[in-house]
Amino acid sequence: MSNSFLTASQQKTRRKNFVTIVTLLVLIVITFVISMNTGVIKLTPMEVFRTLFGQGDAQQQLILFEFRLPRIVIAVLVGMGLAVSGAILQGISKNALADPGILGINAGAGLAVMLYISFFPTTKAAPVYLLPVLAFVGAGFTAILIYTLSYRRHEGITPMRLILTGVAIAAGISSAMIVLTLRLTPENYQFVATWLAGSIWGSNWRFVLALLPWLLILLPFVYAKSRVLNILNLGELTAIGLGASIERERRWLLAAAVGLAGASVSVSGGIGFVGLIAPHLARQLVGAKHQFLLPTAALLGGFLVLMADTLGRSLLEPSEIPAGIVVAVLGAPYFLYLLARLKE
Amino acid sequence: MSVLEIDHVAIGYSSTLIVNDLSVEIPKGQISTIIGPNGCGKSTLLKAVARVLRMQNGAVYLDGKAIHQLKTKEVAKRMAILPQTATAPGGLTVFELISYGRFPHQAGFGTLRKEDYEYIHWAIDVTGLREFSDRPIEALSGGQRQRVWIAMALAQGTDILVLDEPTTYLDLAHQLDILLLLQKLNKEEGRTIIMVLHDLNHASRFSHFMMAMKGGNLVVNGSPKEVMTKENLQTVFNIDAEMAVCPYSKNPICLSYQLYDIKE
Repeated sequence: MSNSFLTASQQKTRRKNFVTIVTLLVLIVITFVISMNTGVIKLTPMEVFRTLFGQGDAQQQLILFEFRLPRIVIAVLVGMGLAVSGAILQGISKNALADPGILGINAGAGLAVMLYISFFPTTKAAPVYLLPVLAFVGAGFTAILIYTLSYRRHEGITPMRLILTGVAIAAGISSAMIVLTLRLTPENYQFVATWLAGSIWGSNWRFVLALLPWLLILLPFVYAKSRVLNILNLGELTAIGLGASIERERRWLLAAAVGLAGASVSVSGGIGFVGLIAPHLARQLVGAKHQFLLPTAALLGGFLVLMADTLGRSLLEPSEIPAGIVVAVLGAPYFLYLLARLKE
Repeated sequence: MSVLEIDHVAIGYSSTLIVNDLSVEIPKGQISTIIGPNGCGKSTLLKAVARVLRMQNGAVYLDGKAIHQLKTKEVAKRMAILPQTATAPGGLTVFELISYGRFPHQAGFGTLRKEDYEYIHWAIDVTGLREFSDRPIEALSGGQRQRVWIAMALAQGTDILVLDEPTTYLDLAHQLDILLLLQKLNKEEGRTIIMVLHDLNHASRFSHFMMAMKGGNLVVNGSPKEVMTKENLQTVFNIDAEMAVCPYSKNPICLSYQLYDIKE
């Protein structure tokens, strides 16, 4: 991509950004291979490659294609969805601490799952495929509630009020959930707790199919809005002056953020931090232009969740640490580091 | 000839109007300045002109067409706005921010075309930012930063520039620097400039047309010689001003002043 209008240093930045994106892709592929080898039954990398290209035996095929591959795909997709959702929210709110959790998406999805389990604990065999739907509905309802509550006539939605309302609603939902846990049997409680901690529990192709369409539609939509996100990031007055219909753009982008995070959380459980950290890291790597920021954040998110899930599966074999917890353990120190640096 | 016509405009909320019933015509190709005490509604009026605030009543006409009925993108091709407190996200370079000025002229993914680059580079040169163009904005001084925002507004390629206190927080030399730049843009390119200024003497020195507001009303408007009088300054600011003549513009300036209740 050479462009005679760019100075040498701008072309250098451009090249650097492409290198960053390619590096992330390579990292995902490496983690993918490691993840394929992770599990109770060990396969050599060679066996993995052979099976991937249709040369493995029946057992190897079953393990890779029916157990490990869908889970890996889901981890990457979920990471991408949450990261881009976070990037949108940080962009339109001009608030570096905004993430899908703040929109009440995790809490709303969690509440829906918990309500279902506490009131229909006996039909445990059937609901596996119902849970993502419920989680998605819960996430959507919460987002709509927060949007309605923070809407003011004449002013529309101000990002600050959106965030404050979101925090309040999420806190309310969390306390409702604590009350509900009292009704649960120990094993149901354990299921809910694992769900909330964010384990990639929906690990087969059907969940991939449920998640993929959302990302296929919303990610290109959001990417096409890069320019709009760039100027929304400059503040309301400047954005209006530049000719953006900010109220309409914000509504569409918010809906996209809810869709992405809702769909992701519904198959992964409440993975937090990714939506916060991935866009942050991406901004450090490639700057504030969304044309580069969005793909970088998406790849970082995918990489983070895949790595967390792989680590979570291998650290305490044969039991698993939910990916959400691994992300939090890795993410919290980074976050503290960010805060410390901001203070300087 | 007027480029903007403000027609019986009322702005605010139903209970408290900030601007009551204001009509004025802003001349084309000239520098117009709004002055007035704090809270008189001058920024509010500017925001309504910039279609940021909705009006309770009245309308603003841009070349005869009601601005609120025009597509916001179409208005953005005619009129650029520089808000009082503009902040850029971290990590953005001078060039990148200035290139955002091309927003209303772009479609789709927003790849910059030849024409866009020409505007951006012209804006960089005219504001003297060439050597800074690849630096991050947070690395610049206040005066340089203000130049970057003006350059972004210039890259928008509009014939009207609306600025809300473009010299606030700048030291004396940098204030003048910005005003001389605006004067040059007006003289050499015939751009219409509308701004709010706090400094009366700057307003008098650089404006063709001045509007003095108080309590949401337009008290007086006209040339600096008509507006900058001892009597008007008493009415608008409640000050007893010693008037003099600016050696550069030959317009009246306020040499020094006293509050009335102290003077006794």
